Amino acid sequence: MIGALRVARAAAELQFKEVAVSGFLLFGALVQPFFIGVMTMYMLRHRPDFDPVYVVVGAALSGLWSVLLFAGSSAISHERSLGTLELVVAAPTSFFVVYGGKIAGTLAFSLVSVVFSYAIGAWLFGYPITVADPVGFGLSLLFALVALWATGMLFAPLGILWRTVGRFLGLLEYPIYSLSGFLFPILLLPVWTIPVSYALPPYWAALALHASASGELDLLGLARVWAVLVLTAVVLMIIASRLFLAVLQRARRSGSLALS
Amino acid sequence: MNAIELHDIHRTFETTTGTIRRHRKDVVALDGLSLAVPEGELFGLLGPNGAGKTTTIKILTTLLIPTSGTATVRGYDVVREAKQIRKRIGFVFGGERGLYYRLSGADNLRYFAELYGVAPREIGPRVVELLALVGLTDRADERVEGYSRGMKQRLHLARTLLHRPEILFLDEPTIGLDPIGARELRKIVTDLHANGTTIVLTTHYLFEADAMCQRIGVIDHGHLVALGTPSELKANVTDLGVVELEVFGVEAADIERLRGLEFVDSIVVEQRDLRQLVRVQTRLAEQAVAPLLAALGGAQVGRVAVREATLEDAYVRLVGRVE
Repeated sequence: MIGALRVARAAAELQFKEVAVSGFLLFGALVQPFFIGVMTMYMLRHRPDFDPVYVVVGAALSGLWSVLLFAGSSAISHERSLGTLELVVAAPTSFFVVYGGKIAGTLAFSLVSVVFSYAIGAWLFGYPITVADPVGFGLSLLFALVALWATGMLFAPLGILWRTVGRFLGLLEYPIYSLSGFLFPILLLPVWTIPVSYALPPYWAALALHASASGELDLLGLARVWAVLVLTAVVLMIIASRLFLAVLQRARRSGSLALS
Repeated sequence: MNAIELHDIHRTFETTTGTIRRHRKDVVALDGLSLAVPEGELFGLLGPNGAGKTTTIKILTTLLIPTSGTATVRGYDVVREAKQIRKRIGFVFGGERGLYYRLSGADNLRYFAELYGVAPREIGPRVVELLALVGLTDRADERVEGYSRGMKQRLHLARTLLHRPEILFLDEPTIGLDPIGARELRKIVTDLHANGTTIVLTTHYLFEADAMCQRIGVIDHGHLVALGTPSELKANVTDLGVVELEVFGVEAADIERLRGLEFVDSIVVEQRDLRQLVRVQTRLAEQAVAPLLAALGGAQVGRVAVREATLEDAYVRLVGRVE
């Protein structure tokens, strides 16, 4: 167990260093939340029900999701292009642990979006960015990260199965923003999309963060959302771990690990 | 005890042709390969491109599953006991890829040390020791993207030695290296072998195999066509001499005419800039020179040399071509 944690930490550090020097991911973590945050604040600031905290949280989530989606879905193709995928798979360590560390490193880096979005609201616009339930918000962020981590864990097996999957997953960036209610409530969307939103871990992550920031849910309400996040994470992790075993065995049969 | 055993290994790959109407086709990479490598041996695996060398290495390093047959490494089955094998082996695939370019050489080694289960206390000293072994101490903290090809190859070797593997698989480790870099790498490999490591080496440089390997297996079309010490393989061509003709503008028809001569065993043509080096294996040696020159007709001939057959000539006789 300690050995696995050490490997996961090493993989997380490696991933953090890799994404921190990637111009594309820096754009996703900083520039994109900046534009989204600034534009949304300009559009909504004169409305009587304008809530700057909602916009800050939404902008932060957009950066977090973009980095997870792009870094997570391209992690396998990146390793393939470097020629390191075979070395990592052939190591005596579980590839699930290594990739888990990488997704954790990606999420750690993506937290820069949270800080940056706060800075936009508080310093650029001068709004008082205070959360109604700081403890609840902290826990919501923790559970949201766990659920997003489990979501990211599904990307790797897909990337091993289909080498171009990263490009297709990239197309999910904006639909997930909308369906998860990052910047506006999903009640504004057509009714038929609501079940889709309920099936998405980012929706529950956004709900927990928005609700704890605004104080619109009491502790029991928040606890229900956290429970959904944890349950989702457990289910996704079980699916991902099975998929990892199956696709690695399949890759050994087809000889597709080194193909780029 | 054998470190490696392969019994009747077959491996096919499925490929597809066509854009709209796709046709599936099976390509045979290994066709009944059987082989054993005793512990402590430095074994060479030779063969032309596509013969099945890399497929063999990938099966033994647990990256590929054979279509049929069994393979064991230190007694562990490559399909069912991959984890046991992975702890005990190291491998280097030739070329520059396989490193994290944005990290330093030392960071690369530290990361792989964690992956390969090196004890935490040992990682620091082991990284320092291996960087010294491969001559990269002075460049250890520089990003790998600034390394030369030779430095990357040496870093690969250091990476594969982190967990002190009992068996090393080196797939064309000196490919693309300058002569000095290749010599340094060969020296490290022979030192490792002297310290008891079993090594399986694939190479296209036959002098390298001749100088380093205790035994050599030649595979072609997925099966073993020869096995023995370099001396035993060379003994197959003691009846041959080699005439090397440096020519300019030789035509395919000229080569075919040479090939048709009764005393010619085989011919290899290498293009070297504007020149061609025609290497003729013949049972006549010196006496063959005059009839060969006559058969070349109007082609302009530069240098002519006659020498004894080498391992490369034995290889050419076995597989009938060179890369």
